[in-house]
Amino acid sequence: MSLAAEAFVSQIAAAEPWPEKATLYQPLKEDQILLSDSASSLAVQTFLRMCGLPVQVSCCANAEYMSPSGKVPFIHVGNQVVSELGPIVQFIKAKGHSLSDWLDDVQKAEMKAYMELVNNMLLTAELYIQWCDDYTATEISRPRYSSPYSWPLNHILAYQKQWEVRRKMNAIGWSGKSLEQVYEDVSQCCQALSQRLGTQPYFFNKQPTELDALVFGHLFTILTTQLTNDELAEKVKSYTNLLSFCHRVEQTYFKEHDGESQSGSSRHSKGSLP
Amino acid sequence: MAEPVELFCWGGGWDLPSVHTDSLVVLAYVKFSGAKLAVKSIDWTWRTITASVPQLHYEGTTVTEPTQILNFLRKQRFNADFELTAKQGADTMAYIALLEEKLRPTLLHTFWVDAENYANLTRPWFTSHSPFPLNFFVPGRQASLALSRILLTKAESPLLNITEVEGKIYSEAKECLNLLSHRLGNFHFFFGDTPTSLDAFVFGHIAPLFKAPLPSGQLQKHLNQLDNLCQFCNAILKNYFTDPPAEKRMDCSPTANHDPVDANLQKLTQLVNKESNLIEKMDDNLRSSPQHRPHRHETKPLALAGERISTPP
Repeated sequence: MSLAAEAFVSQIAAAEPWPEKATLYQPLKEDQILLSDSASSLAVQTFLRMCGLPVQVSCCANAEYMSPSGKVPFIHVGNQVVSELGPIVQFIKAKGHSLSDWLDDVQKAEMKAYMELVNNMLLTAELYIQWCDDYTATEISRPRYSSPYSWPLNHILAYQKQWEVRRKMNAIGWSGKSLEQVYEDVSQCCQALSQRLGTQPYFFNKQPTELDALVFGHLFTILTTQLTNDELAEKVKSYTNLLSFCHRVEQTYFKEHDGESQSGSSRHSKGSLP
Repeated sequence: MAEPVELFCWGGGWDLPSVHTDSLVVLAYVKFSGAKLAVKSIDWTWRTITASVPQLHYEGTTVTEPTQILNFLRKQRFNADFELTAKQGADTMAYIALLEEKLRPTLLHTFWVDAENYANLTRPWFTSHSPFPLNFFVPGRQASLALSRILLTKAESPLLNITEVEGKIYSEAKECLNLLSHRLGNFHFFFGDTPTSLDAFVFGHIAPLFKAPLPSGQLQKHLNQLDNLCQFCNAILKNYFTDPPAEKRMDCSPTANHDPVDANLQKLTQLVNKESNLIEKMDDNLRSSPQHRPHRHETKPLALAGERISTPP
């Protein structure tokens, strides 16, 4: 959407209150969704819960194709469809709910910088491990991604997605990295997050912000998803304050609501945190 | 005796030691940390198309990418970050990620994809600095790499159209510059009074945008409105890239840049600075070689230059 159209849409959005039937769409939880999409989806769900906005989660096989930007998750609120955490945060801000209004300019700059760090390092590492590591791609990613489709469409779509992700990795210079280097990058990113968090309950002390939602989404998914080996989860587990941060957010925002629709209960994941 | 460490970069232009962002980042860090290495420009060599610049050569190993090179220099105990706390180190990583995600695509677009800038500024410069017959290929290859990087990371597939992305990346870049300006505030550098690797990264990204004579530069206009970032660039250029190290003034007060100095006197001062820089480099090379004794008379012009520099206000 062009900038003018986006501004227009946000003006309209500001006029309406949050409806009861807001829906969040993501790929099928049991069979289809992959690590990176699951992390993004959980981040958005956590953000909405932190804002106190109810949303229903709907799992569809073609969620990726319904999304306006091609990325999941996306929310359907009233007349608008918004995808990805960044635009969703702005959309919700236009409606009058915000988690970061109380921050001053320097803190807002820091928050945005850390969100980019998570996107740049953690999300890219997740995509790399899923699609550029041959073993994981063959055993997990391709079968899961193409599970709702029949032959030969499943092969075509899976290879097309893999080719797309590999092209992107090539463009940003990650294709030359080895798996160990990627794990090392994840470890450094977690170290930076751990140092920033310190002993505080949330990244900006008392109240959670969208940064907390994003970090929780990624870390919780990494900890509870079974890949071909446990090395990624081990890297995160070595930082105890990040583990306790995940526990805290899970307890506060997910346990007190319905117990069944818990964020991580699916065959692909190991349930709640160890 | 250890071999000297060699760094290959793109050459200088537009008042900068190098026109290439990654090379500038490494050069700035080298100055901040006081590392001694031989900087070789790849202009007019076949390295323009074979090498991935910047590149560090040390005892047979090659290190590329600014972050890897900075890690290598830190291991060699050339560390500009040792005074940072753990949290500041984490902040450094976060801000570098912000620069890479928000500012770099737009810088690539401004220099390599925007038709006016590319045709009038970037392509002529790179063509004139590449040997025949590479000058036909080098700019085009860089431009297509830049375009594919922007489209793959920012555009919504499958409609990979550059015009839809342009508005988005320019607004993100302006926001990023505003955030950097807020973070810098009134300080000389991002973490107190000494420059660190974050300052090197920010300088490397902002300096080409600040100094290049772009025909169509909406981002440049935006940057010019952010005074503290402009003064940050000027301060680094003045203190680390024009003065000889013996006269390195840590006083980077921003007001010194805007003194109404006679233009001729300024040019003379710069020429003298450059000359004494060269003499310093020669001196260093001679000193570091074990066979030759240092020539004492080399220091005299330096002293003379030192006297001349201290007089202007």
